[in-house]
Formats: sequence, C-alpha cells, structure tokens
Amino acid sequence: MQTELLAPAGNLEKLKFAIHYGADAVYIGGKQFGLRAKAGNFSYEDMVEGVNFANKYHAKVYVAANIIAHNDDLKGAEDFFRTLYEIGIHAVIIADPSLIQLCKKAAPNLEIHLSTQASITNWRAIQFWKDLGISRVVLAREVSVEEIKSIKAHVDIEIETFIHGAMCISYSGRCVLSNHMTERDANRGGCAQSCRWKYDLFEETNENESQIITDDAAFTMSSKDLSMVEHVPDLLNLGVESLKIEGRMKSIHYVATVVNVYRKIIDEYKQNPNNYILQQTWIDEIWKAAQRSLTTGFYYHTPSDKDQLFGKPERLPKYDFAGLVLDYDPQTKLATIEQRNYFKIGDDIEFFGPKMHLFKQTIKEIYSIDDEPLTEARHPMMKVKVKVDQPVNTYYMMRKRK
Amino acid sequence: MSIELIAYTRNVEETSLLIHDVNIDSVICGHSMFSLRTLGDVDLDELIEIRKLTNQYNKKLYVSVNAIFHEDMLDELTSYINKLDALQVDAIIFGDPGVMSIVKEQHIKTKLFYHPETLATNYKTLRFWQDIGVDRVVLSNELSLDEIIEIQNNLAIPVEVQVQGMTCIFQSKRPLVSNYYQYTSMNKEEKNAYFIRQAKEDDTHYPIFEDVNGTHIMSTNDICMLKHLPQLFDNGICKIRVNGFLKSMDYNVEMAKCYREAINVYMEDSDIYASQVTQLMEKIEVLQPKHRKLDTGFYYKKQIY
Ligand code: SF4
Repeated sequence: MQTELLAPAGNLEKLKFAIHYGADAVYIGGKQFGLRAKAGNFSYEDMVEGVNFANKYHAKVYVAANIIAHNDDLKGAEDFFRTLYEIGIHAVIIADPSLIQLCKKAAPNLEIHLSTQASITNWRAIQFWKDLGISRVVLAREVSVEEIKSIKAHVDIEIETFIHGAMCISYSGRCVLSNHMTERDANRGGCAQSCRWKYDLFEETNENESQIITDDAAFTMSSKDLSMVEHVPDLLNLGVESLKIEGRMKSIHYVATVVNVYRKIIDEYKQNPNNYILQQTWIDEIWKAAQRSLTTGFYYHTPSDKDQLFGKPERLPKYDFAGLVLDYDPQTKLATIEQRNYFKIGDDIEFFGPKMHLFKQTIKEIYSIDDEPLTEARHPMMKVKVKVDQPVNTYYMMRKRK
Repeated sequence: MSIELIAYTRNVEETSLLIHDVNIDSVICGHSMFSLRTLGDVDLDELIEIRKLTNQYNKKLYVSVNAIFHEDMLDELTSYINKLDALQVDAIIFGDPGVMSIVKEQHIKTKLFYHPETLATNYKTLRFWQDIGVDRVVLSNELSLDEIIEIQNNLAIPVEVQVQGMTCIFQSKRPLVSNYYQYTSMNKEEKNAYFIRQAKEDDTHYPIFEDVNGTHIMSTNDICMLKHLPQLFDNGICKIRVNGFLKSMDYNVEMAKCYREAINVYMEDSDIYASQVTQLMEKIEVLQPKHRKLDTGFYYKKQIY
C-alpha cells in the first residue's frame, strides 16, 4: 500500500480543500460518538456530499467515533454505523470496544481503525486487536520511530501515525483533568484543556509543610505541537501506511497549508528517494500555519523541557488568511477573491495553491465585482477582483503577514 | 452475597498488618516496572513471601500488571507473567491488551482482572472483556453510582470499585516535573514529594510524581464512601478497594480497619448502619491529613461534555 496522507476535515469546505491540496484521505466527525463536540461535524447529508466529492478524486473519508462511551451513549450506535456504511464511508475510527462491536454487528463490512485514544504502544496489543478483525491501528503519540520499526517487524497490520498537529501531553484517553476540574468529560469530547492552564508547583517538606517552587515561572503541562516536516522519509522508509495530520477544529488555511507541504514532501521523496533534499520553503510554509512552537514529540527521544511550552511563547511568523480565490480570468489577469481579512493596495501578500505553487506580490489593483476601482477590501466575505502576477485558480489562497 | 475488602500492600509487614489487624480479604501489590501506581515496588522475592503469608491465612493475592507497555518491555513482561502464573497468584490485573495476547500465547491459567483506569466506563465494553475471559473488571473512577449499578446488572462477572483514597487523574509519558526543573535550571531532589495547585484555587492539592511510567497526577480530594457503602452492597457492588496510595502504612491499615468495621456493622444489622458509622467517620477525620479533603468522587456527580 502507498503511504496515505490523512487530513482533518471539520466540515465540508475543509474536506474539499484538504482533498484539493493533496490529501489521500480525510477524517471527519459525525453528529454523535466523536471527540470534537465543538467542531462543525457532518450531518448525513454532508457526508453523502463529502463521500461523492472524495470518490471523484479517489480519496477516502473516515469517520471518527472515538469517545470512551458510558452506558447511555450507546443508543443509536447501530443505526449510525449502518448509515455510514450505506453512505459509503470508507472506515470508522473507534477506541471503545462497545462501539467496535456495535459497528461490526450493524455494518460487518465497514472497516474499523483503532483510535489513538486506545493508547496502543506495543505489537502485542496490536496483535490482540488484529485478531479481532481490526484492519488498522492509530499508534499512541508516545511511540518512537525505533518502536514503529519493531512493531512493523512483528505484526502485519496497517499502521497510522500522527505527523503534525496539537497533542495531548498525557497518554490519550488517560487524562481526566478536565473531568475533575470542570466536570466536563475529556473522553467524550468535553476537554477543557486543563493541561494548558497555569499551576503552582510545591515540594512537600514534611507532613504538613510545603514550599512553593514556582515563584517566577508558572508550572504548566502544555506540549509544543508535533511536526515531522523535517523527518517524513524516516516514516516512509518504515512503510507506515498512513500519516495523519491533527486538527479538525483548524481553519481551511491551516489544512491547505499543512497538507500542501506534506503532499509535496511525500511525492518528492517517492519519486526520487536518493536525491531527496528537504527544502527550506517547505519548513517555512509549515511555520506560517503554526499556532505554537514545534517538536518531534516522542519520535526520537523522550520530550524534554525544550518540547514543552514554558514561559513566554516564542514569536511565530503570523499570517492572516486574507482571501480565497473563487475565479480567475487569464485574459484580464484578474482573480475574483472572497475577503477573509482586511487588505489594501500596497500590501505585500502571497498566493499559494495546490502542488506548492507559491508566489509573492504587492497588491496593485483592486476592483469591485462591477469593475469599479477600489483601494481596499474592507468587509469580511466581500468579493473583489485583484490583479495577480501569476495565474491562479479556484482553491488558491491569499495570505498576508501580520 | 460476599463482600470483599481489598487493599494495596507494599511489603510483607504491611500484608501481615492487613491480615491480622484488618482481616483483609485480598491484597494487591506490584512493581512500577509493570504496574501503575502501586504502593511500593514489590520484587519477586518479597512477592513469594507475601504469597506464603496470604496462602497461610487464606487471603487472596492480586498482582497489578497494568502499565502501558512499550516494545522494550515485552520480553520481560512475558517472563514476569509466567513467574506470576507459577507463583499461583490469585489474579493478574492488567490494562494493556498486549497482556491478553501474551496470556493466550503462553497458556497462562491465572485469573485476569481488567483495570484500564479511564477506559472501563460502560457495560457493553466490559461484557466484551468478560466474553474473552476476563474474571473481573475494575471500573473507572469517573462513573456515577447509577452507572456502576447498571454495569454490574449487565455483567456476569463482578465489578470492583474504589471507595477510599486518591485516584489517578492524569498519566503522561513525559517527565513533567523534571522538565520543569530543567527549564528553571534548578536541581530536583530524587526523593521529594510534589503537588500542584491550580492557579487561584488555593485549596487544591494535586499530588504529582514521576516514575518509569512517566508523570502521574492524583486527585485533589480523597474519596470516602464509608457512609454510603450500603448503597453499593444493596445493589450488588461487593468488591470494594481502599487505596492508601501516597499515604503511610499506618494510614493504609487504619483506614482499611474502618472499612472492615463498617462492613461488619452492615452484615450484622444494616438498619443501624447510619447511626453506627458516625463514630467511624470521626475516626477517619482524625486519620485524614488536613490538606486532603474527603468527598464522594464521581459517585453522585453529573458530568457534561
Ligand atoms: S487536558 Fe490536555 S492532556 Fe488532558 S485531555 Fe485535555 S488536551 Fe489532552
């Protein structure tokens, strides 16, 4: 199997962007059983449209149903899985055996992937799930490159692993901070991100006395975000079947940028592994979508203080998603753009599109839809025309440094 | 219906106290190489002694092997499981399904208890484990009493719940306290105990510690279900565990004793339970360290998501 690039899609628009920018598969959430209670999530109608769209591009759609269920959460699960199968969803991502069983019963031919929420860290555990008919496991984020190698040597199953995005600092599924601090169940999508809060750390000197350690800098447990942008070949060489990007809650700008880079890297490496050279522009692109500093997580070593967010956040290059290209007229070299953030004549901006087509320019001419000259694009979602230096296309995006 | 009172033990001495002073039914021990959050590291030699002692008094011995295992531990894990089987411990407590595949392959006969901490939350899941041969399930602590009862009513095997002590609320593979010390360029003393306090929540007290399994954070309060035990027993929840984690041997034994007395009261005359436990509660208040408040965990709490 070719290594698949798997992208998050919080809604239909993101699904289309992810696929246009080169994702081989996307994962989405339904209205039930998923962990991203706050993501847009897909109705059945949206799923039908998403699957039709994906099929056109030979891409796959997976549905995450990865809650750790309580008794009352199981109602409707069979209907849910049956409907997904009928819609043509290619696989479901499940962590809880109750849902695995209900899925098997309702839709015996629907492929099941074991979610990272099950914290799978060794080949024996994988063997256990394989024997029960699971076709793919999503590894825990605590698994290293060396460990993947060992797993691959011991058991023949599809392996999916995260290459990019935000991370729980705990073993996934093993954190109930939020349950205890806010009564919101983290394992059913209610996580309040309590790990990223500030704490004071105390040392217990004896039974009744303690001494504060955090006088200057607060104690916190926030992880930097994962990025394997500089190390993708290590995973490709191991024959990992699916490389996963996190972020169903992220913007289309994020999804498009990140997918674009990893698509490029995978293709370049596959084409010519011996002469593959990591390009600085790819790394730069990744940083343009970054919301936190980046780390390789557990892939090469146990994360140290350098892999956590302590103190003042690092300054990141901040870009605004300024506009989305809806249309392009090669005659006039005018792109019709839907405004997403304020821009004006004289702004230095950059355009990018699929296959890492990327160029910078200064905005020289803006027109209204009725071809009246404008000096700026003021209103969110307003449509304007902008003169572009190079041909663009629908799905291209325009971004502007803050 | 037979009520089973279960406590952790860290060595032979504590086991002996639990047997003689408490008349404990079962003890759990383990080693941090293989288990999460046991009272102390019990090595094989000590385990053999504890087995002898528990056999002599007809008490059950369970060994906790519920770590999340990484590749490099699998061989040792396999040999450890075989040793436990040879020692005829009464049950192996596991959480990682990898243990299950080792057990099958090695034809291990010892009973299996499933204890995956946060993942034992509904009866269908636990029925799944029951059907593949698990003999008991240890429920997650973030369940309400109603949910616990519904789970037990839908299972043929017993469920076990924690009724006393702190609970684990977080496990990371990362050395979070050491990392913080690294970041602030301070030196961390190996053996010190730590806790964290939520900013602006002065009365919170979450113990945090590191071991080979990573960093663990424990709850700010200790569960104390003593007053409410009849609600468990009346509904067929009969395997109860007291947890003396991060407490002294003395505390662990004395606390277990209170629960033993409560069980005795219940067995003799459940109608007088409420009036009789007041005294026991007073005893518990004295035992309890001042900075650790008591509550009823999630037994009567509603969660949202
Ligand atoms: S609090 Fe942090 S570590 Fe825990 S579930 Fe939420 S994001 Fe993950």
